Amino acid sequence: MSERAGARYAVGDRVRVRPGDPDHHTRAPRYVRGHAGEIVARLGEWALPDASAAGIIAPETCYAVRFAAADLFGGGEHTVTVDLWESYLDRA
Amino acid sequence: MGGQTGFGAVPAGDDGSAGFGADWEAHVYALAAVLRQRGLFNSDELRDAIERLPPAEYLGTSYWARWLAAIETLVAEKGLA
Amino acid sequence: MTGHDHDHGGHDHGEHGDLPVAARVRRLEERLIAAGNATDSEIDAVLARLYDSAAPVNGARMAARAWTDPDYRGLLLSDGNAAAAELGFGPLTYQLRVVANTAGLHNMIVCTLCSCYPISLLGPSPGWYKSFAYRSRAVREPRAVLREFGVTLAGDVRIAVWDSTSEARYMVLPSRPAGTEGMDADALTGVVTRNGLIGTAVA
Repeated sequence: MSERAGARYAVGDRVRVRPGDPDHHTRAPRYVRGHAGEIVARLGEWALPDASAAGIIAPETCYAVRFAAADLFGGGEHTVTVDLWESYLDRA
Repeated sequence: MGGQTGFGAVPAGDDGSAGFGADWEAHVYALAAVLRQRGLFNSDELRDAIERLPPAEYLGTSYWARWLAAIETLVAEKGLA
Repeated sequence: MTGHDHDHGGHDHGEHGDLPVAARVRRLEERLIAAGNATDSEIDAVLARLYDSAAPVNGARMAARAWTDPDYRGLLLSDGNAAAAELGFGPLTYQLRVVANTAGLHNMIVCTLCSCYPISLLGPSPGWYKSFAYRSRAVREPRAVLREFGVTLAGDVRIAVWDSTSEARYMVLPSRPAGTEGMDADALTGVVTRNGLIGTAVA
C-alpha cells in the first residue's frame, strides 16, 4: 500500500472512536463510539459526511477499523469492522 | 441502529427477488440519483434528511417512503421545485 | 418536516399525504421537471441501468471466476474495482472491497446506518437487508441472525461482520462448495446466490 502523505494512522494502529453524540449528521455508529479497535485497512480520502451534510466538501482519510464484539456488546465472539473517517479517531 | 435491541426476527423471506416492490420505489431511487447527478444535493444531505425525519415517521414508514420524504424535505429546503 | 409548496388548492400532502404514494412520487417528478431540475429521460436512463444491468448475476460471475482463476481471485481481493472492470462491470461508483470466506471464517455484510449496498453488482437490495431487525442485529448477534436464514455454522467458524459506513461497498467471496469440482465458471455462476454474496448464505 503506497504512503499517503497526511494520513495519520497506519494498518495495525490501535485507535479509539471519539465519544459524544453530535446533533449533526455523522457516520460513526453509536455502537462504536468510545470503543477501541485496530486499523485493518487504509481506505480512500473521501469527503467527511458531517461536512457534506452541511454542503461543505472536506476530504479525509477513511480507515477500516476492527472491533471485538465482546468489547462493543459485552458478549459475542465475532468481530465487527467499521469504516471510520480520521477525525472520528484518536490514538488508543 | 447497530446493536439496538427489540426489533425482532429478521424478515428473511422478504427477499425482493423481483427487485423493487413497486414501481414508485424505483422511481424514488431514480429521482434521488438524478438530483445527485445534477449536484443539487449529495448523498450525505439525503441521509441527513432521512435522519431528521421525526422518530415516529422514521420508524413507522417503509424504507422508500423515508427516501421520498427526505427528497421532499430537501426539495423544499433548497427551493428545487 | 418542512411545509410543501402547494400549487393546487385543496391538497394537503403532509408527510403521509392524501394522495396514494405513487401519485405523490409522480407529482414530485413533475414539479422538478417543470422547475428544470430533472427530465423524464434522465429518470428513465437510471431506471434502465437499474433494471437492465444491476443484478446479482454480476457478483456471481465475479465469484465464479475467482473460484476457477487464482490470479483473478487475487485481484478481486486486492482491488475489487479493477476486478469488476475486467468483467465489464466497471467503472463502479464506489470502492468495492471483497472479503473471502474460508473454512474457519464467515463474513457478513450490513449497513447499520442506512442500508448501503453494491446495487450494480447485486441488484436492488432485498427487503430484509433494509429491515431494522437486520440492521440492528447483524452486528450484535450474527450467529442468531444466520440461524434465521437457515444457516448454522460449525462452532469453530469465526464470524466477521462488516458495517458499510463509508464510500466502500462490501461483497463476500463465498467458499467454493464441495461437489462442484467439475464445473466451469459459467456453471459455477449458477451456484453462487445473492445471499451468499452478502453473507446470509454459505454460497
